[in-house]
Amino acid sequence: MGVVAAAAFVGLVLGVAALVLSLSLLSGFQNHVLARLAEEAPHVLVAPAGRPDFGAAEGAAARLGALPGVLSVTPVVRGRGWITARGQAVPAVLAGREGADGITLDPAQARQLTVLPGEEVTVVSSRTRLSPLGPVPVTASLTVTEVASASTGRKQPEAILPADAARRLFGIPEGGATGFELRLADPGNAPVAAASAREALGGSSTSTTTWQEANRPLLLALRLERVVLFATVFLVVVVAGLNLAATSAVLAATRRGDAAVLTVLGAAPGVLARIFLLAGLILGAAGTLTGLAVGTVVAVALDVTHAIPLPAQLFSLAHVPFKPGVRDLLAVGAFSLLWSFLSSIVPARMASRVDVTEALRAG
Amino acid sequence: MPAEPILAVDSLARGFGDGEARLELFSGLSLSIGAGEAVAIVGPSGCGKSTLLHLLAGLDRPDAGRVLVGGRDWETLAPEPKAKWRGESVGFVFQLHHLLPELTAEENVALPLLLAGEPDARARATARELLARVGLVRQAGALPRILSGGERQRVAIARAVVRRPRLLLCDEPTGSLDAAHAAEVLDLLLGAARERAGALLLVTHDPSVAARCGTVLTLTPRGLLTS
Ligand SMILES: Nc1ncnc2c1ncn2[C@@H]1O[C@H](COP(=O)(O)OP(=O)(O)OP(=O)(O)O)[C@@H](O)[C@H]1O
Ligand SMILES: [Mg+2]
Repeated sequence: MGVVAAAAFVGLVLGVAALVLSLSLLSGFQNHVLARLAEEAPHVLVAPAGRPDFGAAEGAAARLGALPGVLSVTPVVRGRGWITARGQAVPAVLAGREGADGITLDPAQARQLTVLPGEEVTVVSSRTRLSPLGPVPVTASLTVTEVASASTGRKQPEAILPADAARRLFGIPEGGATGFELRLADPGNAPVAAASAREALGGSSTSTTTWQEANRPLLLALRLERVVLFATVFLVVVVAGLNLAATSAVLAATRRGDAAVLTVLGAAPGVLARIFLLAGLILGAAGTLTGLAVGTVVAVALDVTHAIPLPAQLFSLAHVPFKPGVRDLLAVGAFSLLWSFLSSIVPARMASRVDVTEALRAG
Repeated sequence: MPAEPILAVDSLARGFGDGEARLELFSGLSLSIGAGEAVAIVGPSGCGKSTLLHLLAGLDRPDAGRVLVGGRDWETLAPEPKAKWRGESVGFVFQLHHLLPELTAEENVALPLLLAGEPDARARATARELLARVGLVRQAGALPRILSGGERQRVAIARAVVRRPRLLLCDEPTGSLDAAHAAEVLDLLLGAARERAGALLLVTHDPSVAARCGTVLTLTPRGLLTS
């Protein structure tokens, strides 16, 4: 009996610990992705609604910068156009930013245009100006300074160019902007900051997009990933629970004599069932708690000792991160306990229906 | 009006198996035991003595007939009240002590009280009292496996009488003991039955044990016969 119970115990410990470790690993990576997202993407994007641009951009920027929790306000001049080089043209979203030098292309754009950093491209706006030859599109010649992926979570690749060039291309007055990117002290607070930004700039004529809204598909995917992982690894706990049921059944069978004696002493079937249920539950609780402890300790140890290195060229992380979360631990513990309880019910009922005379005869 | 018997058995029958292999142990067995009586049942091995005791304690169901303990018919009781009534009115002593191996002597004796819902401290106090009565004060904290056969049997007797049952059923209570210990254990059983104005029914192979009971009956296929 001791060996059987020990095997069931170890099985449950391993199952729970595996679940905790997997979830910690997932949390580690997901937290990293979210942190990078919050680091790189603007926390709130403020755009004009029903008008092409913020006319008096200086005043708007100042009002946004004065909002509580706003660290910085970056004006952007965004529009659509084509980038042409060597007779090739690709449509592109063009983002004008202060301080940009030349044009930064997305790798996909650079590949289509077959240009390298240092070469020149021509950016063509959809806007035309009148010339002696009739209307001609507004263009700008820019040097490719860099080919780099846009930051995480952007739906379309953007080419980045100086704000002045963008204003000229899209016919936006000096100092004007088509939007402001806000960075916040607390990225989690983006929805509140977005609401106060709309209020500050006159409600209906302003629209906002928080980084959570902009990355909704990614955030949903991350959540789905958690659910799928939980369901998959929880199978280990389910198996461990079945093992526990088998152990309880063995317990019930080997303790038939004791169950019979308890009956003789006046224990009702319900009492017997409760005693055996409790035995299973104690084993389940001990296994679950030990598993939670083992999983957490191993996860923390692996994380702080940077035990598993990652190739730096492939990942933006030097080691595999483990972040055990309180909610994960609670969920794992609750599920494991519940399952231990459920899998002890049948063996406990078995024990409570012992044939007393036969069990006494068997000794 | 005569006092109601503690144990009343009417036309009891029990057998095992079907058809060719059918073994009819006894039928038409009747018996009545009143307060303060001590009855010994003797018979050859395999005649159904243990089976009879199980029927009397409501642990087994007869093929025919009725068993009433304190006026209640086991057959008419639902599982829960049946268990309750058994714990309250019947004490059972086996040939082998049947103590729970993980519990100390004291805990084993306190067990019926705990099952009846008595608080732990009070149950333990009563158990210690009873262990003192059977001369096992020192062994109260000991596990059954380190006790001698006679000591175990005394613990089992203490456990059987701890709830002051009116009917004490014993299946060869001295079967595993030498003569000196057997006499000691028998004294305890007879004393317990007498003291509580209960009834004692014991099954034995040993004529000297049987002789100490007021009535000796032989179990036969046709019921119990006075020897
Ligand atoms: N569940 C059962 N199924 C079939 N036969 C049984 C069953 N229980 C008892 N028997 C048979 O009934 C007979 C009587 O058994 P029981 O244990 O009552 O005898 P006993 O008089 O107590 O014998 P002993 O003095 O050796 O203890 C035996 O032959 C036994 O094999
Ligand atoms: Mg027998």
